[in-house]
Amino acid sequence: MKNFIVRTTLFISIIIAIFIFILSLANGYTDPFYLRFTTPKQDNLILGTSRSAQGLQPMVFKRFLNRNFYNFSFTNAHSPFGSVYLNSIKHKLNPNIKDGIFIVTVDPWSISNNGVNPNDTTNFTENNLVLANTNFVNMNPNFEYLLKNLSGEYYKILMPKKVAMFLHDDGWLEVNVSMDSAAVSKRIKAKMEDYRKNTLPSSKLSSVRLSYLKQTVEFLKLHGKVYIARLPVSPQMYEIEQELMFDFNDKINQSVQLSDGYLDMTNENNLYQFIDGNHLWKESGKLVSQKIAEWIKSK
Amino acid sequence: MLFNSIGFAIFLPIVFLLYWFTAKKNLKFQNTLLLIASYFFYACWDWRFLFLLTFSTLLDYYTGLKMQDAENQKAKRFWFWLSVIVNLSFLGVFKYYNFFAESFAESFSLLGIKISPWTLSVILPVGISFYTFHGLSYVIDIYKDRIKAERNFVDYAVFVSFFPLLVAGPIERATHLLPQIKKERKFEYTKAVDGLRQILWGLFKKIVIADQCAIYANQIFNNSSDYSGSTLFLGAIFFTFQIYGDFSGYSDIALGTARLFGIELLRNFAFPYFSRDIAEFWRRWHISLSSWFKDYLYIPLGGSKGGTWMKVRNTFIIFIVSGFWHGANWTFIIWGMLNALFIMPSILMKTNRNNLDIVAQGKFFPTIKELTQIVLTFGLTVFAWIFFRAENLSHAIQYILSIFKNYGSFFVLDNYLKYKIIIIITSIFILVEWMGREQQYAIENLGLKWNRFFRWSLYILIAILVLLFSGKGSTFIYFQF
Repeated sequence: MKNFIVRTTLFISIIIAIFIFILSLANGYTDPFYLRFTTPKQDNLILGTSRSAQGLQPMVFKRFLNRNFYNFSFTNAHSPFGSVYLNSIKHKLNPNIKDGIFIVTVDPWSISNNGVNPNDTTNFTENNLVLANTNFVNMNPNFEYLLKNLSGEYYKILMPKKVAMFLHDDGWLEVNVSMDSAAVSKRIKAKMEDYRKNTLPSSKLSSVRLSYLKQTVEFLKLHGKVYIARLPVSPQMYEIEQELMFDFNDKINQSVQLSDGYLDMTNENNLYQFIDGNHLWKESGKLVSQKIAEWIKSK
Repeated sequence: MLFNSIGFAIFLPIVFLLYWFTAKKNLKFQNTLLLIASYFFYACWDWRFLFLLTFSTLLDYYTGLKMQDAENQKAKRFWFWLSVIVNLSFLGVFKYYNFFAESFAESFSLLGIKISPWTLSVILPVGISFYTFHGLSYVIDIYKDRIKAERNFVDYAVFVSFFPLLVAGPIERATHLLPQIKKERKFEYTKAVDGLRQILWGLFKKIVIADQCAIYANQIFNNSSDYSGSTLFLGAIFFTFQIYGDFSGYSDIALGTARLFGIELLRNFAFPYFSRDIAEFWRRWHISLSSWFKDYLYIPLGGSKGGTWMKVRNTFIIFIVSGFWHGANWTFIIWGMLNALFIMPSILMKTNRNNLDIVAQGKFFPTIKELTQIVLTFGLTVFAWIFFRAENLSHAIQYILSIFKNYGSFFVLDNYLKYKIIIIITSIFILVEWMGREQQYAIENLGLKWNRFFRWSLYILIAILVLLFSGKGSTFIYFQF
């Protein structure tokens, strides 16, 4: 009996040790979010949804503004403005910083919600996703994140690193897809169809989300300067957004007034390339990042 | 509490340690502990159904004693039928009432008469079909004077509710399990290690094979109209491995767990997908249920003694009842009927007991004839599983028609990487099962003669694979039955 218990304990310990070792191998290829929960508390943040996650490159900002930035943006499902995102930002931000720079990207979707009542917070999609269920955002390896959010798919950690998405250490999500015109047109068409058919009809302005945008800016103002930016999108996407909220700039005016500046780049939509009409291609993202950095520098 | 959950991973070692250390050498204490643990295990699903389990146990215990002590055959018959009727009534109310009410209303609607059936909104108590059949076999065996009634209530209650088999079998017989419960049990190292090995293989089947195949089987069956014929065919194959991995994986964990407590349960699976005909398949698939129906339904109906017509009739009856046992849905009944049809040629030609041995015994490769028979039998099984998995009959028929009609892109599925991994792992799994088909379970003897380092490496590899795919905590298919 003793022998059995000793050997079983040894066997289980070896398995647990190997499993922990495998978990510790998780990196930017594992999933599009993991690394953002493994870095220390940050002084300067880029915030928003997938547009800024893929579009804004911290290394470009560093070059122009001489400080490290961290891209803590997720997706429209995970990080629209709300209590979940604000709480996570509070965990991620260095509480002692007083002269930080915060770039908050905005768009009509991040202050909208679907469903009959867009202000029903119990119905917010982010409530059940990574930002809500991960309490530790600065732990490396982050076992809490991995156990809660990669369950059933831990094997992905060991998979060949040839996926289209790679999350950099600074939080920028690099996306590599074919940019030949046929492929781009196909993706734009599919994305626009999806937005027209599914997203637009069910989306409505949420005053709760709008209020959380304001609260986010107010909170960040306690730690430094806040710059709000609306990133460029394809003309087709802009048309849909105009249908959803033609007066978007008026809607966010209160938050803009609290901030240190607002840059609306939708008048430059034709100048950039998009992988699907919604997200900037990485080369265009570099240009947009540079433009925002220069604008902040000029302030 | 699922076998593949953290809860069970904590529960099992606690019960194991209490059983062998605290209760050691005290049979009464061990059995009481097993009973408390089993009731706790069941209460984790829904404590309210404990009353049903307790009532069912008390009923069969009491009627068993009454039959034993009956002064005449009439009294014995009374207690026997009381037990059978009450047991089947519970099953009928909880499992079949809504089906009959809805089918009744539907048949009237065909005549243009609209009836709103009065249905019950109760959930099916987990494991009800299994513990009801336990109890029934006990009562029938006493009635037929095959066994004596058990006078110790705790021992009887452990027989009905022993946690490894409580919710999805194997369906035990009093003649097999009760003597083990009543006998002093000693810890045996080799048995316990073998139990752990079988648990490991069961977890592999469930988490790595069944749960992964389920992702695509569900995707394809739930959106069958969106897929090409070849993809639908692949979906049926995925479900075929899902249900095997799920149910035989559960059985392996149950048998392995019982062995940790010094108890041997009935074997439930014997590599059914390597069968050479449908009769052999049914001797190898869910063995405890097949043998239950054979002993308590087929043989009492006359079995094969009354000529060809009686054999055909009885075969159809047990397969239809077997289908119905699985669930109150026409898809299960058709699944049962299909299997009866598939087995019919061998019954009529009296070849149904041709393949009693293990295919290609002592050899690695089967003959061309054996391989052809295996592939054909597998194909028939896959076809029947479509009915088992489909939402309803029209879905099943539409699915089958689309396989043959709806040509298009070959095997179109999302997430190609994962799909490739599943195919590779399933192929390795089939190979390991083939290599181990002469054992009780595939890895029973695998690596036993190897150096300890390599043997442990093999087990660690399997365990790591289980962990890498684990975490979803998906339930077992047979819990719904």
